[in-house]
Amino acid sequence: MTALGIDTAISIGRVRPVTQRHEAVLVARLRVLLVALLFALVALAALSRIVFLGIGGGASGPASLEEALLPDRGEIVDRNGTPMARNFPARALWFNPKAMGDGGTPLTRSADEVATRIAAIFPEADKAIILRRLTSGKAGYLRRRVLPEQANQIHALGELALELPEETDRHYPQGSLGAHVLGYVTHDGDGKVGMEQVLQSRLTDPALRGEPMALSIDMRVQGALEDELRSGMLATNAMGAAGIVLDVDTGEVMALASLPEFDPNVMDRRVVDYEFNRVTNQVYELGSTFKPLSVAAAIDAGVVRDFSKRWNARDVEISNAVLADSHFLGNHLNVPEALIQSSNTVTARIADELGAERLRRTMIDLGMNERPYIELPARGHPIWPKGKWPRLRNMTISYGHGIAVTPLHLASAYAAMVNGGVWRPATLQKLEAGEVPRGRRVFKESTSSRMRQLLRMIAIYGTGKNADAKGYRVGGKTGSAEKPGKRGYRETSLVSTFAAAFPMDNPRYVVVAMLDEPKGTHASSFQRTAAWNAAPIVGKLVPRIGPLMGVRPDMSRDVDISDLKPLIPGGGT
Amino acid sequence: MTASTSTSTGSTRPIGAGEPFAGSRTSDFKIWWREVDRVLLLLVLLLVAIGAAAVAAASPATARRLSTSEVTLPDLYFYWAHMRWLVVGLAVMLGASFLSRDNARRVGVLLAVAMIGALMLVPLIGHEVNGAKRWIKFGIGFQPSEFLKPGFAILLAWVLSWRLRDPNLPVLAVVSAVAALVGVLLMLQPNLGATILFGGVWFVLVMLSGVSFKKIAGLVVGSVAGVVAAYFFYGNARNRIDAFFGGGTAFDHVDLAERTLLSGGWTGAGFWLGEQKMRLPEAHTDYIFSVIGEEFGLIWCALIVVVYLAIIGRALVRLADEENLFALLAAAGLTAQIGGQAFINIMVNLQLFPSKGMTLPLVSYGGSSTIAVCLTVGLLLAMTRRNPFLTRETPGIAGFASNKEPPR
Repeated sequence: MTALGIDTAISIGRVRPVTQRHEAVLVARLRVLLVALLFALVALAALSRIVFLGIGGGASGPASLEEALLPDRGEIVDRNGTPMARNFPARALWFNPKAMGDGGTPLTRSADEVATRIAAIFPEADKAIILRRLTSGKAGYLRRRVLPEQANQIHALGELALELPEETDRHYPQGSLGAHVLGYVTHDGDGKVGMEQVLQSRLTDPALRGEPMALSIDMRVQGALEDELRSGMLATNAMGAAGIVLDVDTGEVMALASLPEFDPNVMDRRVVDYEFNRVTNQVYELGSTFKPLSVAAAIDAGVVRDFSKRWNARDVEISNAVLADSHFLGNHLNVPEALIQSSNTVTARIADELGAERLRRTMIDLGMNERPYIELPARGHPIWPKGKWPRLRNMTISYGHGIAVTPLHLASAYAAMVNGGVWRPATLQKLEAGEVPRGRRVFKESTSSRMRQLLRMIAIYGTGKNADAKGYRVGGKTGSAEKPGKRGYRETSLVSTFAAAFPMDNPRYVVVAMLDEPKGTHASSFQRTAAWNAAPIVGKLVPRIGPLMGVRPDMSRDVDISDLKPLIPGGGT
Repeated sequence: MTASTSTSTGSTRPIGAGEPFAGSRTSDFKIWWREVDRVLLLLVLLLVAIGAAAVAAASPATARRLSTSEVTLPDLYFYWAHMRWLVVGLAVMLGASFLSRDNARRVGVLLAVAMIGALMLVPLIGHEVNGAKRWIKFGIGFQPSEFLKPGFAILLAWVLSWRLRDPNLPVLAVVSAVAALVGVLLMLQPNLGATILFGGVWFVLVMLSGVSFKKIAGLVVGSVAGVVAAYFFYGNARNRIDAFFGGGTAFDHVDLAERTLLSGGWTGAGFWLGEQKMRLPEAHTDYIFSVIGEEFGLIWCALIVVVYLAIIGRALVRLADEENLFALLAAAGLTAQIGGQAFINIMVNLQLFPSKGMTLPLVSYGGSSTIAVCLTVGLLLAMTRRNPFLTRETPGIAGFASNKEPPR
């Protein structure tokens, strides 16, 4: 091509016969431009490579001094600034059989001797495993974490094939506390399970990762919650437990625990087995804890106006089914009595009078028909009856059967019931004063204040007595639902829940404690129901967390229940 | 400056570099100022200035690496050494640029012959550094291969220009034999990088001398075969090529260089704030481009590429107007020598080329080789000197472009 170009240039440009000298110079002059073009192409290649590398083809990004001081991954702290997750530089022990680069044996000594020496540095290590790796000829980790002193000892062995690459380690100083809230970080740096996954981009963003991320969790409350749940769980041989402490006015989660737990510092079998979050991911039929919600809906709709009105408490016979109470409570009960004694029949009749549509509407307003509102990635979808509810379904749902939700759903609904009637989404992020969502009104203010009285009365006179911590004005409702098995409900497998709020005269926090399949033990007076296992957990927990969160015990204050007191036996006048 | 007084008196200047008076130093300087390619000179000085800053940035890395328990080198040890060499080098460069073409040719040819002779001595009395015999020590040590660089292109150009006197002279055979001899001597050291560089200069000159493109294509195929042969018969080349394609160990030079190059991002970590450079061997010489990348940023790396391209482009494009075949070939050869070395070094740093022990001319710390590089540039400036008042006889680059009848 170029040769052709020269020919034409000569034939057109040089009509007269050219001397050899001219021709040689002319060819050289043309080809000099070709050389220049070649250099231009090389320079272009170099420039494109620079642009490619700079834009991200393997560029590790600008490492300014400022950025070098930032952690690789942002710190997570609780609402008071207590560190929950932080990075620190660490080293691993890596076997690189090609390090010698001469194609010979990777080690200068025998593999057996090297393995013995490594095992001497790490007493807990298995020499056989190390030896297998050293003789495999394949590169790989010998140890994930090496302390500085151990690194020096390894270095002193003088084996080039033993490399100590720097790695950043994610450390959870609180151990297993709040494990389900935090989750963990894989070796590739991806957050999993909890807020580590949710906040992945925020924690790795160079512009933001310098600032610690504050969660709504209060580590002290979290510690108390896990402690009380664990003792409750162990005392009753339950297979699991779940608990949550929620700020009723903001939706901030102060503590959230699912037991058994795992330790995000230790990547072992427990992580796989227990990373499942019972609070946000598992749905349960929460039983009688739904009764106050149904009663509140009925009060709100004007179906329950007169609290002295007595409702028929005998078995409800409807479309071949019989709805009964756990034991005979009387022929008729008023509403306070029905709640205090946890009557299925009265609640069902109230719901029947309220109508399926209105109860359904209230449940939808409380968010029972969708996944719970919280940042965590694992959120369970409720088992929500589709379409129009038949009469029987409406009645069972009123006392918490035929609908399965997460404990978090229940906590948010209780918050709405006691805080004046406004439902707000739960959040794990610390909210400033102006950031609290407006929420949506579910109940009237007057309904809410009635419910405070009724919940308090359950704790004073009813099934919640064991939760009534002196001076903390706890109010709440038990729920003991049989778990569905292959053939209907299993009488011995229960989910025992206590949903509470305190202090009832001015509710600040909702506490939900749940035990999965507690057994009747000496500690629970050989009872499986919530009054004997879940309620005592709350009763012991509230005095521990109340003062931490600004609620002091005060015997001189309480919600005024004087107008309802005469309606129950033993209430006196 | 001393060179100019001794050489400018005795000789007659050729066409295009008029010599009306055997004049004083002042008139010599005036003539030089008018004739020299001032843009080229400015670009070269710009590069030298960038180089000084880069060596200052890289100096602590090397100084600390080479410090022992007995001797602690000051952080700026290599910077001040570089400055001293630069003073001598720039004097040599300017002195050489004062030479007339004929004298430049004489200096070049003599230097080339002397250095080929010295190369032959290297295997006998050479001094071994890092597993290769490249140095000769006469009082101070020097690498003959470095000082061959300025002479080689001029020697080859001179031989090729014989053809104008007698078309039947076997000039191609002679230059190829000289290049082959140099190649063999360099591979004895061994020094594959320099062999490739000298081979490249030879290739450019042969191409410019008017060899048909068919033969050039044959040459390209031959050189590929040569590289393959080097891969199989020459251990050092094999290791480096394997490392280039296979990705070496974590502590490979290339890997360290890439980490250094990229750790500054676009705008750099800041002067003397680089961290990765501290782990880099040869930070002040072979991998100074990476140090620039870390401390000044990729933008400056791109700028340096552009400056080299500007130097090469300026020199070569102006040659398209050159009438004198020898000057054209010599200047093109010298440009290829500098540009080739620069781009091989840059490509190594950008991981587009297997690792070669080669400095970045005018930028790297070079020691005695700084003088050789400066002499190369000085001779290039001498070859590209042109009387601005004389117009050419044949169409220049503008003529190529417009395809017009040349002025007679």
